[in-house]
Amino acid sequence: MKKVLSVILALAMFLSLAVVSANAEDITLDVIIAQYGPNTQEWFLGKGMDGSNFVEKFEAANPGIKLNLEVVSWNDLYTVVSTKISNNNAPDILNIDVFADYANEGLLLPVSDYCPEELFKDFFPSFIEQSVIDGTCWAVPDLASARALFYNVDILKEAGIEKAPETWAELEDASQAIIDAFGGEVYPWGIDMTTDEGQAAFAYYTWGNKGGFVDDNGEWALNSDANVEAIEYAIGLVSKGYTNPNPATQTRYDLQDMFAAGKLAMLIAPNQLPTYVADKEGKVNLATAGVPHNEGATSSSVGVMDRIMAFKDDAAPDQAARNEAIGKFLTFFYDPVNYVGWVSMEGFLPAVNSAVGALVESDPSFQAWLDVLGGAKFYPTTKAEWNDVKQGVIDVEQQALTGGNVKELLDALQAKITGK
Amino acid sequence: MIQLPESRTSRIQVTVLVALAMVLTAVLCSLPFLQFSSQIYVKRSPNTFVGDEKYEAAREEVAAKLEEYRAQGIDGAIDEQVIERVNSKNEKTSLVIFTINAANNRNGWAVLTAGLPASGVLITALALGILAWVFTLVSLLKTGGGNTKNAFGIASFVCALASFFLIPVVTLQLNLNLSRSVDLYLAGEEVKGIESLLPALDRFLFGGEAGEQLDTMLGALKYSILPAVMLLLIPAFMTICASVTACRKPLKKTLLRVLLYVSVIGFSLFILYPFFVMFITAFRSNAETTDMHFLHILPTEWRFSNLGDTLDRGVLRYLINSLLIAGGATGIAMLCGIPAAYAMARMNFRGRKIYLGFVIMSQMFSPVVLLVGISRLMNTLHMNDTLMGLMFINAAFNQAFAIWLLRGTFVSISSEMEQAACIDGCSVLGAMIRILLPMAAPGIVTTLIFVFINAWNEYTVSTVLISTTTNRPITVGITQFSSFNMIEWQYLFAAALLATIPVVILFMLIEKHLAAGLTAGGVKG
Amino acid sequence: MRSVFVRHRWEPYLWILPSVLLMLIFVVFPIGIVFRLAFSNISRAGVVGDFVGLKNFQDAVSSPAFPQVMLNTLIWVVSVVGLSTLIGFICAMVLNQPFVGRKVARSIMVFPWAASLVIQASVWNYIIKMEYGNLNNILLNLGFLQDPVNWRVSYQVEFIWECAIGIIVTIPFVTFTVLSGLQSIDAAYYEAATVDGAGFWNKLRHVTLPLVKPSLTVSTVLNIIYVFNSFPIIYTITKGAPANKTDTMVTYLYMLAFYDQRKGPATALSVIGFVILCIASGIYMLVTMRKEDGIL
Repeated sequence: MKKVLSVILALAMFLSLAVVSANAEDITLDVIIAQYGPNTQEWFLGKGMDGSNFVEKFEAANPGIKLNLEVVSWNDLYTVVSTKISNNNAPDILNIDVFADYANEGLLLPVSDYCPEELFKDFFPSFIEQSVIDGTCWAVPDLASARALFYNVDILKEAGIEKAPETWAELEDASQAIIDAFGGEVYPWGIDMTTDEGQAAFAYYTWGNKGGFVDDNGEWALNSDANVEAIEYAIGLVSKGYTNPNPATQTRYDLQDMFAAGKLAMLIAPNQLPTYVADKEGKVNLATAGVPHNEGATSSSVGVMDRIMAFKDDAAPDQAARNEAIGKFLTFFYDPVNYVGWVSMEGFLPAVNSAVGALVESDPSFQAWLDVLGGAKFYPTTKAEWNDVKQGVIDVEQQALTGGNVKELLDALQAKITGK
Repeated sequence: MIQLPESRTSRIQVTVLVALAMVLTAVLCSLPFLQFSSQIYVKRSPNTFVGDEKYEAAREEVAAKLEEYRAQGIDGAIDEQVIERVNSKNEKTSLVIFTINAANNRNGWAVLTAGLPASGVLITALALGILAWVFTLVSLLKTGGGNTKNAFGIASFVCALASFFLIPVVTLQLNLNLSRSVDLYLAGEEVKGIESLLPALDRFLFGGEAGEQLDTMLGALKYSILPAVMLLLIPAFMTICASVTACRKPLKKTLLRVLLYVSVIGFSLFILYPFFVMFITAFRSNAETTDMHFLHILPTEWRFSNLGDTLDRGVLRYLINSLLIAGGATGIAMLCGIPAAYAMARMNFRGRKIYLGFVIMSQMFSPVVLLVGISRLMNTLHMNDTLMGLMFINAAFNQAFAIWLLRGTFVSISSEMEQAACIDGCSVLGAMIRILLPMAAPGIVTTLIFVFINAWNEYTVSTVLISTTTNRPITVGITQFSSFNMIEWQYLFAAALLATIPVVILFMLIEKHLAAGLTAGGVKG
Repeated sequence: MRSVFVRHRWEPYLWILPSVLLMLIFVVFPIGIVFRLAFSNISRAGVVGDFVGLKNFQDAVSSPAFPQVMLNTLIWVVSVVGLSTLIGFICAMVLNQPFVGRKVARSIMVFPWAASLVIQASVWNYIIKMEYGNLNNILLNLGFLQDPVNWRVSYQVEFIWECAIGIIVTIPFVTFTVLSGLQSIDAAYYEAATVDGAGFWNKLRHVTLPLVKPSLTVSTVLNIIYVFNSFPIIYTITKGAPANKTDTMVTYLYMLAFYDQRKGPATALSVIGFVILCIASGIYMLVTMRKEDGIL
């Protein structure tokens, strides 16, 4: 047995020799960036930034700091990150949507440790709030998008509907009118309850019924009557045949494709939808409106934001220098010269004030969306149980789609989350 | 004339087959061609109550439409359907659907005799089929059934075969060239040759006065004829069998041969179908990949630049990485696997069974499950983010299969020659390399293919282990085409094709060694 | 066995040493880590904590989705392995016949295997989409359909699709293993059988099957393992939706680990899967190889 072990050790040593060690004086930052669209990778690593790329430009501007930057698709992002964390090999800088788990487990550096004050002040305060747990900010927003109702003006007109539906009752009537007028050629309403983004559907309907993930005190209130009514309403739309046929597997791409092809009359989608439709050469006469709500409630738009965060690395020889390097990365990234290109490339909304001017100048419609975003609600991502809740509500929706009782399902979920 | 019993069976076989074919053909030809009528106009009027203004307006509109049709020589009747509902505010609503059904008395024979290109082919096919029956029966009468080759038998075979192949031609012509062209034409697409086709259609369907109603009429025609035409393949096939039997070949043998080719071709087409989809989608434009009007099978415009765009986005690099990983993994797996398999095949030692169990057990965790473990191991060995690491992982996860397969090959080869060599003073290693390996080439090649392909297709471990973009294998590299904002199907499939081709080429190069297994199998004697 | 090949008692061990080392380092070591994790507390982010005994296993088994997932896994493995073995065997028999174009046919056979599972799954996912899928496109254009058909009308149907795709991509594996077995059969056996007046079925039963059995057994055991552990098809097409009703064990534990962030139970589940596989393939091998000492 000893022999075997020694052979293993010898082999391991041999193999480790083969690895080229980096220049000791340089600081190397491992960065993981989520892939937002076709241009993300080109911009960071290819030729997408005026013939050069982010990494090259950054390293030229900041000698002594090397970036080991990886662009990972959303499909694999959680796998990659959590495997790395399990092996004490977390990246230095990570771009992802969730952060509470990492923060609660003490893996993250507080933003104040590395983010230059000037830059920190530049972020929209309402965004920063979404990343604060117990008074400490753990992450900074990298971009945002706002969701609103998009509808196909021509289809609604053909069905005899003058204005976009505002309430749920109007939505049902409009859907029926569209079914009547097009006889199944057009799906009136798009619903996405997929494993990828089903939590958004939960937000659209419960927030439009004075419900939501949490109550006024910020405690989980998943099984409130308002929520039960809202989800039953959404499931009812499906069972009445007003929606796309397979809500559990038809993702937002599918809905957007249908909308672009004129096969779907209305859907709730992010602000990039017009660009998407244009890319698909869709000839859709589209317009936007508020997300429909129940009688007596108000419409609330849904904001979604992703974040950049820095992980602790106790093994780093010089913590101060490392923090400084992370700060330099952020400063460079949020520099309007670079950041405006990044945000507008995929049609997202900015997270810093300094970028607004240039963006609105290039596309005036940005201002309207920024206003929408100003009043938008965000997911309760700062709460520790958020990930369980997110998966839980998706599961509830999908169970309900296959005939489950919404009330019972939500009761069970609430009990599981709150431990009661 | 001694083999009377046999000839009688074949005579009965032939007669029954021909009779069945005749009846089937007659039934199929008469059924769908009897008559067809069609909906030529639909008006759906939502929020309309019988008797109200909107209803009257809609009704008048439909009536006016019918007059238009009548002016064109198409008679029809208006059908009215009322659906009443209660909406969410408890108000009553109602939907009225008006349809105009054409009282069309054109039957299938009118279609066939109207002088369209497709119907000409169909008539020819039927005529050939009838000719085949006649010839078959004549040859049966002349020879007493299935004993000698004769001119009539051969002629009937030729006729039956020709009619068999003409039938799909008819279908394609009817559907692709005619009706689809009209659909496309009316959808505002440019269709080659439609200008010359339309007058012909018009002439035969409407006596030259059809105008816009061509497509609805043609749609009805298309769907009523198509299944019947396709089903005609069955009697045609029966006719072929009958004529072959009449030409003295044993029915069973011919049937088997035909069945073999038909099933091989059919199954190959089935297997290739997804790749055909990849191929045509790879050259579509972004918009056309998700086109929901189903207007074209092939891309309207072949975008060969998609291939170049994919390569520009790093696919070439990923392909090279994949080649290195798969090649390296195969090499390592063979270097470790051949000696082990050799020991298993030629030597007896304590712990053989334990070793075997160990080999099999080692495969029972999928790499997906072991991600955390593998990634920690790679950290320890400093092989994170290296191609080398993936080579070893892939080699290790294919060891079991390599050893099993190689062992099987080695066992099937007689050990006498090696024994002789060993006694002559050659080392065991030398005997293996010089004598066994050349003989075991087919098995080794098979193993090589297996390991290579498995390594080439590995995905999950690479996503976690490789963080430098330029080190990605192709399977991970193509994920950049399905991003958060959109799936670029055309690039995804273009890259997928590029990833498939090297493996297929490798296989084709190596396949002849696989086939050589036939002769090598005989060596062991 | 034969002294000619073994001069020292330790010699065989030297021959198997490289493969043992390779597997020890790259397979057994990770397996060991997974076993340790299965009994440890793992935080949501993935930090490995203390020993917690069987808690992870309890969590995994008591999940309401567990019975459905196990049933799906059973259906998935039995249908995919069973049907792909049957069809693959027939394909191998056909491809072993001499006929014009055999080389081409064999090359075509390798296609589903040459494209990785992720790619195959994506393309089938694209094909069976109702709104723009290629299946509807082709059938509509050829005139077989009048209106697009929703090929994924319910999750049961989606699961059947997944199994069917699983079968298609597994057939080449069986075909080529059986083919390599068929090719090593001496033609003399068949000649002898023909002389004895054996028909096709008799030859199949008494010559082909017994001689192919060793390679078929191997391929079936490995096939069970591969199919059990295969996850891209289901992950790409339904992600287990709705509510784990189309999940098999591997996709379920993947979702559990990386979507639900419950890595402890997920790891425990993978150990359970390992035990199931060990038992299943152990029984299978015992049953099929009992009389053949040449293998064991």
